[in-house]
Amino acid sequence: MKERLQAMLDTARGAVSEVESEKSLQDVRVHYLGKKGEMTSIMKSMGGLSPEERPIVGALANQVKEELEQLIEARQGDIRQVEIARRLKEETIDVTLPGRRRFAGSKHPITLVTEEIVEIFSSLGFGVAEGPEIEKDFYNFEALNIPKDHPARDMQDTFYVSDDIVLRTHTSPVQIRTMLNQPPPVRIIAPGTVYRRDSDITHSPMFHQIEGFLVDHKITFGDLKGILTTFINCFFGENVGVRFRPSFFPFTEPSAEVDIQCVICGGKGCRVCKNSGWLEILGSGMIDPEVFKSVNYDPEVYSGFAFGMGLERVAMLKYGVNDLRLFFENDIRFLRQF
Amino acid sequence: MIVTYNWLKQYVDFDYSPEDLSHRLTMAGLEVDFMEKLGEGLDSVIVARLISVDSHPEADRLTLCQVDTGSATIQVVCGATNHKAGDLIALAQVGSVLPGDFKIKKSKIRGQESFGMLCSEKELGLTEEADGIMILPPGLQLGTPAFEALSLKDVRYELGLTPNRPDCLSVVGVAREISAMVAKPLNLPAPKIVEAGAPIDVETSVTIVDPDLCPRYAARLIKGVKIGPSPEWMVRRLESVGMRSINNVVDVTNFVLLELGHPLHAFDYNLLRDRRIVVKSAAEGDVFTTLDSQPRQLGSSDLTICDGEGPVALAGIMGGENSEIKPETTDVLLESAYFNPNTIRRTSKRLGIHTESSHRFERGADVNMVPLALDRAAELIEQLAGGTVATGRIDAYPRQMAKKTLTLTALRTSEVLGMHIDALDIKRHLCAIGFDVEFAHDREDGALNVTVPSFRPDVEREIDLIEEVARLNGYDNIPVTMPASQLICHQGPSHQQQVRRLRDYMVGAGFSEVINYSFVSNGCWDRISLHADDARRKTVRVLNPLTEDQAVMRTSLVPSVLDTIARNLAYRNNDLQIFELRPVFHSVDGSDLPAENLRLTAALCGHRAPEGWAHDRSDVDFYDFKGVMEGILAQFNITGVQWAGGETEPFLHPGKSCEIRIQGKSVGTLGEVHPQTLETFEIDQPVYLMDLDLAMLLALAGEHPGFQPLSRYPDVYRDSAFLIDDEVNAARVFEVLGGIKNKNVEEVVLFDLYRGKGVPEGKKSLAIRVRYRSLEKTLTDDEIQSVHGKIVRSLQKNLDAEIR
Repeated sequence: MKERLQAMLDTARGAVSEVESEKSLQDVRVHYLGKKGEMTSIMKSMGGLSPEERPIVGALANQVKEELEQLIEARQGDIRQVEIARRLKEETIDVTLPGRRRFAGSKHPITLVTEEIVEIFSSLGFGVAEGPEIEKDFYNFEALNIPKDHPARDMQDTFYVSDDIVLRTHTSPVQIRTMLNQPPPVRIIAPGTVYRRDSDITHSPMFHQIEGFLVDHKITFGDLKGILTTFINCFFGENVGVRFRPSFFPFTEPSAEVDIQCVICGGKGCRVCKNSGWLEILGSGMIDPEVFKSVNYDPEVYSGFAFGMGLERVAMLKYGVNDLRLFFENDIRFLRQF
Repeated sequence: MIVTYNWLKQYVDFDYSPEDLSHRLTMAGLEVDFMEKLGEGLDSVIVARLISVDSHPEADRLTLCQVDTGSATIQVVCGATNHKAGDLIALAQVGSVLPGDFKIKKSKIRGQESFGMLCSEKELGLTEEADGIMILPPGLQLGTPAFEALSLKDVRYELGLTPNRPDCLSVVGVAREISAMVAKPLNLPAPKIVEAGAPIDVETSVTIVDPDLCPRYAARLIKGVKIGPSPEWMVRRLESVGMRSINNVVDVTNFVLLELGHPLHAFDYNLLRDRRIVVKSAAEGDVFTTLDSQPRQLGSSDLTICDGEGPVALAGIMGGENSEIKPETTDVLLESAYFNPNTIRRTSKRLGIHTESSHRFERGADVNMVPLALDRAAELIEQLAGGTVATGRIDAYPRQMAKKTLTLTALRTSEVLGMHIDALDIKRHLCAIGFDVEFAHDREDGALNVTVPSFRPDVEREIDLIEEVARLNGYDNIPVTMPASQLICHQGPSHQQQVRRLRDYMVGAGFSEVINYSFVSNGCWDRISLHADDARRKTVRVLNPLTEDQAVMRTSLVPSVLDTIARNLAYRNNDLQIFELRPVFHSVDGSDLPAENLRLTAALCGHRAPEGWAHDRSDVDFYDFKGVMEGILAQFNITGVQWAGGETEPFLHPGKSCEIRIQGKSVGTLGEVHPQTLETFEIDQPVYLMDLDLAMLLALAGEHPGFQPLSRYPDVYRDSAFLIDDEVNAARVFEVLGGIKNKNVEEVVLFDLYRGKGVPEGKKSLAIRVRYRSLEKTLTDDEIQSVHGKIVRSLQKNLDAEIR
């Protein structure tokens, strides 16, 4: 018996090591361990053994069976490994082929800079307000301390819809509408479309501005510098130089033009900054007491500042766009770059 | 306003470098737009003498010149005609680079060698225009750089002045600002006139009829002048700031205008009828010919300077042809006056005449500059044109302008600026630019009484003084602080978030955002075939458009979007997915402002995907767009949509478009563009459009419906295919399917639609897949079969469906 078992194990070992496929291995398993297999027939013949021998041989038979099963399992593992290795070898793709793309949508660059600026001011606690693009003279001019016949009206060539209705020339009327609607404190940012009667390579009759203003007790010119410097550092970078210089707007006093160090040449002087090293990007100032009077805020109690900037200019600087007209030509090759 | 470094130096002593001066002016609020160094890099342009000037053997219009450079004789070909042998000229030697990056090279012109160029003033950047080459005055050393020899080295600053600073529309005004910077005195000219003639008031008189419009009018009379060219220094001075020399007397008035900022006018005294001046408003309908030979129709609001009979000048704007200085003029009546800014502005604007003079008067000249400007001009005319100055001057000043006195406190100044400023510093700053400052002894808060000089009409309030202090103290010196302000919630209107979400959705769906002008041509409504009574034809019109293409505010984004498509197709950008999200404008009866309603107009054409080795290159169709719209509805939880086919918009294909109705309201349209419209826009491929009224659509946005539980049990599906009449539309099929209410029906998908072989004419085959799943248990076959049977029977009964 022992010899038969040992012999069977030896031949089975040989058979297992020779098979190459899972299917042949299965045949081997059936041949030796199946219901009608060799193992079964050996076990059947155990009846002829003496009661002393039976447990010994039984134990040996189990041992052989177990060993055989392990052998088969190990072989099966090997065969699978080989099989996977073969598949992997056959199934290689060229990963450098271009992917299956869809058309990617894009926001207009003016929308992108608007959203970015609004986000910065939102984080500083400013809310967003809007106003009509076709506006009354009162909101666009009169209430902003730009009476009729004032030379300052020359600064903005105006499209008229009627005697006292204009296409707004700036986003500043939103200041008036907001302040007439709510008492201080206010912190508002107001992006929008504006119109001026001017069209050449550097002027578009329609363009975009963003207006901001803050009114509360004891707001100072220093605060204006603080908020705008923070904004510029967020938008143009920590290390960009900023300067405030005196200017004039009818609705602010004192007024300041805000320049940043030229982002193109780093301040050395180039064509974009007309060799000055500086780029004008913002108009600003302390809100004029006359404006407060027209919205019934007491200038003795409240103070505040306002600022505005042209979004096309900001977008041109940010993305290096060299021609204003591209913003309104809507060439898809341009739009898909953003 | 243009000033030069050397000219400024005449009135104030400073030693800034040219660059430094530019920076300081800018930081003082007088922005330098442009700085130009005259003669910089032009040392190779030298004084040379023409030895001979012969005609070019091969070209009539050219001359062949032998030029003595002081060290050599060279040949130059020259195209000018105003030079002759013996003249001194400015020679740009080979290697020079003239303004405008014009490089001078050795060349051969019609067979003759040329070793340089004889320069005109224009070529040297001295003037805008030039007739012929520049002939230099005799006596200059040959070979020396021309700019040095002529003392022309200077720096020109072009200032972009803000309208509140008329005081700086003069060299002296700018010098005053510099004098404050360097704390040195401003040296105003002090004219010395030899008065030798008869007393002026014997000769002439000045009558001011309306002193509100002309508060002050002064005059001097100079007899026996000789009109002629100005001396070199005067010509150069005017040219240095871009003004051309005319003759000695006119040059003097221009010089004083530039120097002191006060416009003057010179009349030919003998052409003044009755030899007197009357300042009065014009009579309605008067026609008057100004110096530029233009007849001007005057109105009663226009102020004129008249002689005994009629107008001789348009006050403060332009003189008249009838009294202008001519070569034969001998006696000159000089006017120096102050006019009401609004009058000048109105007339100048109405007549469209903008002059150096009107520019200053309408911004506010200095009433106290009247006598000085007059005397300065008389002094210079006497020097340049000879003649005898009549004794005394007429100075009609019927209405004295009041002095403005303002009160300012250091506390208020410090509060506005956010830094401590001492009253003494305020006094020092303001005094430096000509303000009188006294401590107000009747007040304990250290207030200052400030008298505003008459050249600063812009300073009217305490806050204006604070700005001056801030400016002179330097904006740079104001500390950067952050406001201590209350926290407030400024949540914007909810449609802002919705619009942003919608825009994000469109971008995510592959669309690119476009922005077109809000104004369009009134003809664009015909191009999209709007009916004659379509409300969109009632546009808001721009009264003064730049072009007819921008004459009306758009009531629809469709024409602009189609134009955008056409423009892109012209560039062979054939696959387009674009949208515009902007307001349109409708006039509203009974409201002064038009309504502004946001719309979303999107267009789609070309292929579904970009070109590629494994890309879906099929063309987009209606259903691509409908999917986008369905996505929008899902985004905003909008239910109750109805896709109503048939005639919708005149610019849409009636068989391939629909109106989008939500809860019974029409919110827009979707469909293929009408072939006729495509032709109008010269588009040769199918384009699909979606046009939505956002105010309406977004108002229908629903709340999030709330979480739906997920089943943990397996799903089972059953497919059924059936034939129905071709006329039965999908909406009807889904209506019938929706009629079977069963909680175990998870989803019904229409997964196949087929017409053709095997399907009888007039029929179509549909295939649906119903997915069953319970939240509570695994469904049995019987349970599923029972529901599915109902569905099938309902299709048979209601749609006459033939199950396949």
